[in-house]
Formats: sequence, structure tokens, C-alpha cells
Amino acid sequence: MTLPEQNFNANGLGNITGRQEFLNRLPMFSGAPAGVTKMFAYLAKREEYAQGEIIISEDTRCDRLFLIMSGKVDIFHRHKGRRFHVQLLGPDSINYFGELAMLAEFDWFFSARAWTDVVLMTISREAFTKVMERFPESYPVVVQKIIKLHINRFADQGSYFLSHISPEAWLEDPPQ
Amino acid sequence: MKITGADNRVRITERSLFYWILRRHRPMQFFLLLVIVVSLFFKVFPLEMQKRIINEAIYLKDTHLLFLYCGLYIGAVTIAGLLKYAINLCQVYIGQKILVEMRTELYHHVLQLPLQFYRKMQAGTVISAMTAELNAIGFFLGGALAIPITSILTFVVFIGFMFNLNPLLALLSMGVYPLEIIVIPFLQNKYNRLNKKRVKTTRSMANVVNEAISGIHEIHGNASYGLEEKKLSTYIHKLYDLVKRLFIVKYGIKFANNVFQSMGPFILFLVGGYMAINGQFTLGALVAFLSAYEKVYDPWKELIEYYQDYQDAKVRYKQIMKIFDLDPVHALLPFSRDPFTLQGNISMKNITFTVPSGVKLLEDINLEVMANEQIALVGYSGSGKSTLALLIAQLYDASQGTISIDDHQLAELSKLDMSSNVAMIAQQPFIFTGTIRENLLYGVQAVAGDGPLPDRSHILSVLRQVGLQDDIIRFGLQAVLTPEQCKPFRDKFLRMRQIIHTSLRSDFEKVVEFYDAAAYLYYSNIRDNIVFGDSLTGEFIIEGLPDHPRFMELLQKTNLEKPLLTLGYAIATQSVALLANFQDDEFFFRDNPMRADEFTTYSQLVEKLDGPQSKDKEARRLLLILALRFIPQKHSIVSLPSAMEAKILAARRRFQEIVFHIDRDPATLLEVWSPCITGPKTGESVDFIPFCPGEYMYTHTLLDNILFGALKSEQMLDEPLRNLAGQAFQGEHLLDEVMDIGLNFEVGSKGDRLSGGQKQKLAIARAFLKDAPIVIMDEATASLDNTSQARIQGLLETDYRGRKTVIAVIHRLDLTPSYDRIVVMKAGRIVEQGTYDELMERKGAFYDLARAEF
Ligand SMILES: Nc1ncnc2c1ncn2[C@@H]1O[C@H](COP(=O)(O)OP(=O)(O)O)[C@@H](O)[C@H]1O
Ligand SMILES: [Mg+2]
Repeated sequence: MTLPEQNFNANGLGNITGRQEFLNRLPMFSGAPAGVTKMFAYLAKREEYAQGEIIISEDTRCDRLFLIMSGKVDIFHRHKGRRFHVQLLGPDSINYFGELAMLAEFDWFFSARAWTDVVLMTISREAFTKVMERFPESYPVVVQKIIKLHINRFADQGSYFLSHISPEAWLEDPPQ
Repeated sequence: MKITGADNRVRITERSLFYWILRRHRPMQFFLLLVIVVSLFFKVFPLEMQKRIINEAIYLKDTHLLFLYCGLYIGAVTIAGLLKYAINLCQVYIGQKILVEMRTELYHHVLQLPLQFYRKMQAGTVISAMTAELNAIGFFLGGALAIPITSILTFVVFIGFMFNLNPLLALLSMGVYPLEIIVIPFLQNKYNRLNKKRVKTTRSMANVVNEAISGIHEIHGNASYGLEEKKLSTYIHKLYDLVKRLFIVKYGIKFANNVFQSMGPFILFLVGGYMAINGQFTLGALVAFLSAYEKVYDPWKELIEYYQDYQDAKVRYKQIMKIFDLDPVHALLPFSRDPFTLQGNISMKNITFTVPSGVKLLEDINLEVMANEQIALVGYSGSGKSTLALLIAQLYDASQGTISIDDHQLAELSKLDMSSNVAMIAQQPFIFTGTIRENLLYGVQAVAGDGPLPDRSHILSVLRQVGLQDDIIRFGLQAVLTPEQCKPFRDKFLRMRQIIHTSLRSDFEKVVEFYDAAAYLYYSNIRDNIVFGDSLTGEFIIEGLPDHPRFMELLQKTNLEKPLLTLGYAIATQSVALLANFQDDEFFFRDNPMRADEFTTYSQLVEKLDGPQSKDKEARRLLLILALRFIPQKHSIVSLPSAMEAKILAARRRFQEIVFHIDRDPATLLEVWSPCITGPKTGESVDFIPFCPGEYMYTHTLLDNILFGALKSEQMLDEPLRNLAGQAFQGEHLLDEVMDIGLNFEVGSKGDRLSGGQKQKLAIARAFLKDAPIVIMDEATASLDNTSQARIQGLLETDYRGRKTVIAVIHRLDLTPSYDRIVVMKAGRIVEQGTYDELMERKGAFYDLARAEF
């Protein structure tokens, strides 16, 4: 809504209008009814992290989806006491993580930290579930999109792994 | 509680209604009787005056006599009225006194009834019996003796008076009474029968409602509203039918009374008038006779009503007492000795437990437990583990066989013996309304009576043992302290604030927006931004501000009223449009200045308004409230126009001038402004406390006070902040104080404000605090997370080893290896026992259970 007397600044992502525009540009919500994105815009939260700060760590309960509005995020795994980088996410292309948290409750299987200062928009599973309950006809579509997004990420990580793989792993068949 | 007195030898439920009346408050009742007798004289006396006024004063035309008799008449009538007043008060007093005793003693009895009784009994029945039904009896009790005595005496005296005037007339006018004596009781019997049914139906109705309220989750979950309504509607209609018939009879009785009442004057006028005409009767006597006849009817009516009330009360009383007509099984206190201190050797011989329906829940249980032994009780669900645990704790009583502890038969031990020596943690522990502290001390307090209670360090260490420390600290941090509560620690808390704002600033800045007199606060609402402080009397709560003249004047002076109304209007219209389909769920209003329950109000408002600047006072009030609640960083529904920030900051300064009555020199306006400088020095508005680094904010939580700012996100409250604050508190040795404050957290009805795990831990702590030699745990850790479960298991293995007899019903078999012995139950029998290794090797029932688990 625009008001005649005052101009509520919408350029920041502090309010619904700005957020809704941002969400509309995301593949996840493309084609979703305006009511759905508007509610997510309303219920989303803004989170800021300084460079180097941990955003989520493995083995804690997942509860929200992250959308990167600015800055870069390092996705990594801990394995046998070492840290393995798997993906660097930015505001363009794959600008989300934690999408599966919308669909199920599990412990994070990766960690994320701020590679630069980052601004994130998050949507909690509670919000997602509560909104989708009101739009049951859109639910299957959104789920499909989320799975596709996850596949995108999966493919991206896969190719990163393959190009950084150690020579011993260079086997055509799995070991017996 | 101990009740003494000779009349308690008769079991409470076997006493008759008059048992209470005749044995209690005798001096008072005697006094009442005296007043009644005296009052009789003053009732008859005016009649005599009536006769004399007509026959002597008027007849002799003697004004002097007329004045004298009239004076005496009015004097006597007044005294009679006053005495009646005194009699009424006396009656109520006696009735209520007896009711208090009846209720106290009955509750005492009811609480002791065995658990089996409550298995069958619905809560609603017990509740309505103890409350409403007893109330009705209370009203009867007061007049139970006074009313019949007064009525009969009055009746006799008036009739005597009438006979004195004219025996024939008296006899004739009395003729109708015998008829009444036959008709009325007949109708009354009918009434009683209907009334009995009504009481029963009302109870059933109470039970249905009670069950629905207790199970409201399930009803909402299944949307089974129709089902529940149907359940109730049967009773509603039945009740309607009964009450209808009840009143047909009741008013039938009234009708009969009225008819009989009019018969009297008819005869009087006919016969009395005839006699007066013939000079056999003076006019004065006729008038007095008529008055007396009228008066005689009152006690008669009262007697009849009394009879009805008595029948009513008797029915209720009998029905109440019938419910509770059971003896408590165990003595409350040991007989002329102190409670035993038991070692904890438990011996069960041939125990069988049969429920009234004939089903055997336990059969032929034989088990010897040595003092300080730790026993795990395992088995499929429904195999009787809980039942066995309840039997050992004397909460159930064995049908056959004996249980003994240290050579004392369990049946012989008093409740106090048991509660001092056994700590029981039930599968679903009950948490009472009250504070955490009260719940924790519940067990010890009952045993200790007026004796000493555990000291704070002991309480806190038990809380740490069960893993409640963090929760209690959080409750403490979220407590709002009164100045008195805060006083001893105020300086320490303010020092904490200082530490956070200096050495720990960089850590906390990420999660908190600190209060800063010169800056706009994006995580605080507009009201806080303007008022920048708080009044202890609640003078500046948001909902009251639109009616606060000085505040509204300030908004106008600083040109804020219009923009705030516009903002409020934007919030209202946006929210109404966005949330129309979501208004039933509070979740969608969490980050909105509007509350879910206000949605209808605002949607009606928006429909009515065509712009923000309405003339309507109520509309402006509603819009202003929304604007004042608005928190820019939390409420995404609109954004704050940047032009408003400066205006609000200016208003903040002006506001402090208003509350502290300072006329600021315009020249100093440009100086850096601090609320602390203008603050309490003027001393006039001591009630107002500005957000100032040196002031404790008594309307805010302890956490708010220490942070001195607004949290940026609720999520921060949990992990990072608690750790940060916890460390800081530890450093300042304030943790115990904060926990002590946290102990005053109100847990809500049945502990509703606690999580399942917290309730369970609280119940464990409550039992551990008793430090009893025997601990019985019925799946006590089942609803806890793994860490907490392991912590409590560890406690048993270290702290309790060799000190306490432990009998633990355990669901998770991986917890069993540390127990001295495992007892396996199946279908009400013990099928196996031994150590973990023995049982695994045997490959019997336990082995099967364990295999099923993994
Ligand atoms: N007072 C009672 N009246 C009737 N049945 C009961 C009573 N108490 C328990 N039961 C039944 O007895 C069986 C054993 O119950 P319980 O001792 O709670 O088993 P467990 O604790 O091993 O799961 C269950 O089938 C239960 O429904
Ligand atoms: Mg059980």
C-alpha cells in the first residue's frame, strides 16, 4: 500500500513490499500465488552475521530456511576433526541453504559461516507449515520446487567434489 | 492437619445432618434461643395494643391513652424487628461456622481416600459435592434449630392469644390446618424425588464439562466439538425436563398454601362479623383476632418452608456423604511414637492385587530387596510394573500377601512413616499451581511440618543434579522484581550492567541494542522511544496514553500526533488486509502490533474509516495504540518513515521535561541530553524511572536490566546470550541469587508454563530433596533427553550407591546394566531376576526384551 502523505521506505528489506519483491525473484516462489509470498515476506526474519561468525553448525536441530540477501556464506562439513569446504554461496545463483528444513525435522548435516559480512532472510519451518496449511493447493508445487532447488545444490556440490577429489578415490566401482 | 474433639469418633460420612447442628456452637445456639423467646413477647404485645387502641382509646375518645398505646405499639414493633434482625444474623453465623467445619473435615477425609476410589470417581462429582452442594446445605444449617423453634413457639403463642380472645372462633379458624398437613407432605415427597434426580443430573453435567475442559487439546485436535456438545445436550435437556416438573410441584404446593390461607379470613369474617353484629364480640377483639390470624399464618408458612428446606438439605447431604462413604485405609500419624527411620529392606510375600472387577493385575509376587540395593523393574507395558511400584509406596493395598519394610508390615505403617521414608516419582508426576520453590518443597514440607526446611544451597545443588539449573536461571533472568525484592542485589545487578556495557560490549552488541538517550531505538517500540522510562504506577502504559492529557499535548506540540495516526492507520489497514484469513491463529500476530484478539475491532474500524485523521475519539485512540506499539525492526508490516525519527527524539526530550517539570532554558537544548541529569534530582516524580545507566528499571525483567537494551532476536535469548550472561554472573557470584529469584517462577495451573521435561525434572528434584532412604521411580526419566537421563542415572550410580534403596521402573534397557538386580515382569508376575550379564546369558525374557529394543 502506498500512502499519500508519507512514503514508507520500501527499498530496505525491512518491510513486506521489499521482501516480497525479493522473494518473487527466487525460483522457489516463482509461480506461487501472491498471497503465499506476501505471507512469507511478512513472517520472514532478518539476520546479520559478521565475517567469520558461525551461522549454523552440524548436529543442531534445523528449524529455518536461509536466503542470502548480501554477502557470501561458506558451507562446510566437519569430518574426522577437519573442516571440508563444500560450497561458497552468494546472493546470485544458489543464494539459499537449509531448504530441506521446510519439509522435515532433522539435525543439520552441514555447517555454515559468514565468509564476508552477510545479511540473511530466514523463514522458519513453523511459518512455512502454518502458511502452507492455508494454501493446500500450492503445497505440492512448492515442495517440488524445494526438491529441485536441493537437486541444484546437490549437482553443484557434486561437481565441486569431483574436481577436488583425491587420486585414491578415483575408482570406477565402489570397493567390495 | 490434626482434628481433635470427642465428636470425631463417628465417621464423618455416617453422621446425620443434625449431628452437626446439635453438637456445634452450643452457647451461640442457646443465646439464639433466648433471643427468640424474648422476641415472642414483642410480637404478641402489639396485638394487645391494637385491641386496646380500639376498645379503650377510641371507644373512650381518650387521646392521651391513644398516644400512649400507639407509642407502646410502635416501640414493640421496632424491638421485634431488631430482634428478628439479630436472629437472622445469628443464624447465618452459626450456619456458616458449621459449614466451615463440615467442609474442612470432609476435605480432610476425602483427601485420604484410597487411590482406588479416585479411579472410579469423576473429578466433577467430587468438586460439585464439595462446593455448590455443600453451600446449599450451609444456608439450611443456620436456621435448622432456630426456625422450627421460633415458628412453633410463635404459633402456639398466637393461638393461645386467639383462644384467649374467643375460643370458638379460634377453633373454627384452625380448622383448615389439618387438611394442609395431609396435602402438603404428599406434594413434598414428589418434589424430593424430582430434586434427587436433579442433583444427580447436575453432577453428570459437571463431569462432562470437566472432562471436556481437561481434554480440550484433544477436542480441538479432532474438531470433535459436535460430539462433545451432543454429550452435554442430553443432560441439558434432561435437566430442563426435571426442573420443569420440579417447579410444577413446587408452585402446586404454593397454590395449595394460598387457598388454605384465604379460607381463614373467610370464616372469620362470616362468623366473627356475625358475632360482632350481635354484640357477642367487641370490635377491638375482632381486629386483634384478625391480626393474630394473619400472624399465625407466618410461622405456619415458615414451618412448611422449613420442612421443604430440610428435605432438600437432607437429600443433598445424604448424596454427598454417600459418595465419600469409605474409610481411609491407613492411619495418618503413628500412634504415640515418632515416625520410624527405616533402613530400606523390603520384603514381598505372595502378593496378589485384584481390582474390584475381579481382574488380577499382580499375582504371587515374591521379592526381597536389601537395604541400599538398586533394583530395575522391567517388562512389557501393562505387565504391572507401575502397580507394583504403587503397592510398595502404600498407594495401593495388596489384596493378598504381605509387604514389609524392615520387619514392619506395610499395612501397619502410618502415612507419615511412609512419606518420611519413601520418595516416589510417578510416571506422570503432578505439578501444583504455585512457584517452583513451593513445588520443590512440597514433599519435605509435608514431612517436616513446622520443622526446618532445606537451606538454599541444598536446594540449588539438587536442582543442578537433575539438570534444572539453566531453566531456573532463565526464569530468574525473566523475573520482574519489585523494589523490595531487588534491593539487596540492586548494586550488583547494576555492576553487571556496567560490565556488559564496557568490557563485554563487543560480544553483547551483536544481540542487544543498548538504550542510548541520544539514539533512536529500532528494537524498541515508539512508546519506549518517546517515554524512555517507566512509571511504577503504570501511568504510561500504552493503552492509557491516548487518554493521558499531558502526553497527548506533547504529541501535538512536537507534531507527532498526525504522523502517528497515519502510521497506526497504515498498520491497521495492512494487517487487516493481510491477516483476514489468518486471524484465528496467534502465530501470525507474533510480530505485529495488533493482537489476534483485537483483529475484529480493527477490521471494523478500518471499514468505517476513510483516512487516518478521523474525528472519532475512539478511532484515534485505537490507531494511536497500534502506532505506539510499533517496533521498526520487529514489525515488518510497515516501515518507519525516516522523518519521524528526529521528531520522536525531540519528543523524548520534551517528555522528560514534562514528567520532571523542568522548564528548559532554550539555550541548553543543544547540549547533550541525558535522562539521568534531569532525572530523579528534582525529586518530584519519584515514581518515574528513566532509562538511565544508573537506574534499575522495576517494570522490566532482570535480563532487560542487565542488558540495558532490547534483544535483537528472541532466538538469541537461548544459546549465546544465556552462555554470555551465565559466565558473567558466575564471575560476579550472582548465579545463586538469580537462581533464587528463578525459584519464584509461577508454574501455572498443573505446571502448564513448564515443558514436559521441566515438569519431570522438577518432580525428580522434589523427590530427591526429601532425601528418603527408599526411592521409587516409575519411568521417571522417560520424557527426558538423553543427556538429562544420563545425568540422573549417574547420580544413582555415584551419589546414591550404598546410601539408598532404589526401585526404578525402566523402559530403556540400555540403562539397566548399572543396577544391582533386574526384575523382569510379564502379565502381572515376576518371570526372571538377576544381574544384566546373568540375564543376557540366560537368553530368557529379558534377552527377548532387549533384542526387541535394538
Ligand atoms: N486400578 C486399576 N483398575 C483396573 N485396571 C488397572 C488398574 N491399574 C492398572 N490397571 C491395568 O493393569 C495393567 C497393568 O498396569 P501397570 O501396572 O500400569 O503396567 P505397567 O506399568 O507395567 O505398564 C494395565 O493393563 C492397566 O490398564
Ligand atoms: Mg507403568
